[in-house]
Amino acid sequence: MTERDVIDSAAGLSSADPRFIARRLRPEFVEGAEICRTSVLAPKDDLGLSRALRAALARRMAALNDDAPLTAYYDAELTMSLPTEEELRLSRGETGLAEPLAAMAGHADLITSDPSRASAEDIRRLERAGLTNPQIVALSELIAFVNFQTRVVAGLRLMGAS
Amino acid sequence: MSLPAVRLKPLTWHPHIAPVELDDATPEQLEAMKVTPSAKKVSEYVRTLAHDPESYVARTVLFNAIMYVEGGLPRADRELGALGASVVNGCRYCAVVHARQHARITGSDDTVSAAFYNRAEDMSPRDAAIYTFARRLSVTPSQATPEDVAALRDAGLDDGEIIDLIHAIAIFGWANRLMHVLGHSKPAE
Repeated sequence: MTERDVIDSAAGLSSADPRFIARRLRPEFVEGAEICRTSVLAPKDDLGLSRALRAALARRMAALNDDAPLTAYYDAELTMSLPTEEELRLSRGETGLAEPLAAMAGHADLITSDPSRASAEDIRRLERAGLTNPQIVALSELIAFVNFQTRVVAGLRLMGAS
Repeated sequence: MSLPAVRLKPLTWHPHIAPVELDDATPEQLEAMKVTPSAKKVSEYVRTLAHDPESYVARTVLFNAIMYVEGGLPRADRELGALGASVVNGCRYCAVVHARQHARITGSDDTVSAAFYNRAEDMSPRDAAIYTFARRLSVTPSQATPEDVAALRDAGLDDGEIIDLIHAIAIFGWANRLMHVLGHSKPAE
């Protein structure tokens, strides 16, 4: 609990920062965010979505959120996961990927940028690309987690700027 | 201008994919859903997310801590943050649930009615600061500014309360992306 985690690092908090100390008044938030991060990026059972693919999607979504430190963090995670060339292209926000990566990338882009536009047809597209129900839920949780994490980091940064 | 109060009828939620059937569930899924011989009724929402039991359990623990932990930011303010996120993210189901919670806790639906009309100017300065910050932080990428945080401080929120609020908004950036993406809502029967 006294070590800096991903959220502290991305928000630029040293362990002496008042925001670092204030975060530790809610240990259940700090620990909970770390357990959640593991559950979507490096789960015990990956349900057929590899660690490299998960890091690549997270990197793509951190970039959509304009979060340079989190983007750099997921780039490093991706490098350590030995990605394929196609996963690297996905991570960089490229289009024209092969399926099922194209469907997953398109879904991550839509749900990150404007979830209000989501419809049943978006889930049907994932199914046509071959995703199982567990994979659809795991992908949804990963997308949703990165959008949680980027907002916690953005909020903590703003606290230091006001 | 006086606007009519927004009527907040409960909605029901239905998934776009087949939820886990209890007869087919793995031991890990049953444990995640807390199914016991005396508690066999599990909502469609829980059974849908139980397709990935590890993330379901992790998120549920964090969600409950953020929304229901003792002390710090008053519960009504957390609900208003959740409402702002849910409106921006287009999750009608979450918006109605948390607007109703806010109205129940405060004994008034004035603030949530103003929220659905996006009229922060009709709210108290404190509610306006919370709601405006919630909306701006929920956009991708975030549109929240240091001035928005300064408005929270001017309204009397300390650093611990602002951290509570950030988490309430952020966890709905998560929950909305499950409820609105994996299913649809309609008026309760």
